[in-house]
Amino acid sequence: MTDGKEARLQIELCGRLADPCGRVVEIAVPDAGLSVTAMLAALEQTHPALRQPLARGRIRACINEVVAPRDAWVAPGDLVALFPPVSGG
Amino acid sequence: MTGEVELTPDAIDPAARLAAFTASLSGEGAVVSFTGHARAAAKDGAPLASLVLESYRGVTLASMRAIAADARARFRITRSLVVHRAGRILPGEAIVFVATAAAHRRAAFEAADYLMDRLKTEAVFWKREEAPEGSRWIEPTDADRSAVARWEAATWE
Repeated sequence: MTDGKEARLQIELCGRLADPCGRVVEIAVPDAGLSVTAMLAALEQTHPALRQPLARGRIRACINEVVAPRDAWVAPGDLVALFPPVSGG
Repeated sequence: MTGEVELTPDAIDPAARLAAFTASLSGEGAVVSFTGHARAAAKDGAPLASLVLESYRGVTLASMRAIAADARARFRITRSLVVHRAGRILPGEAIVFVATAAAHRRAAFEAADYLMDRLKTEAVFWKREEAPEGSRWIEPTDADRSAVARWEAATWE
């Protein structure tokens, strides 16, 4: 891997977040990865239809099956998902 | 040891589950069980074709395990079982089955009540009602939120 290169990152969209663009979307990310905040910004830029559902707030990022804060680091190859508020069982 | 927790795409047979749970006990005096079924109508009375419960990889089961562990830490129960369905569920089918066992009835009742209140608000599911006119995502109701808040208040008493 070389500095400055880009990789692809798949993001799984759960619940109502899957409505506009489907269950899985892919974005370009730096090889070195990026923060959750930067990932959300990149996602909104490449998928404008997600802007409004993401702006409704209370969206949680999940990295490798653990809910992560906004400053957590996402690396290419990580298992990434976005959760809208859960509905419970 | 935590209670037994299961997430399944298949139909749940509550009677068979209760029989197996009861058969596994060792002299407890109380067994309580609860089964939640998919309703035939939405809140506004419109008929429903199905309910879809979406889960996410290992996270949903982990959330159920955490709730079951809290129940066992909080109440004097000897065993608990939580079976939750995921996927498309038809009206009348069981969504969730909970059973608890204890030496005495109060702990068994309370633990089952607590498990259901927490599962209904915190378990990692996204629920969609499907009707002939279209589908709609469901979030916990105010009643669900107040139900779970009762237990939080009790913690600090």
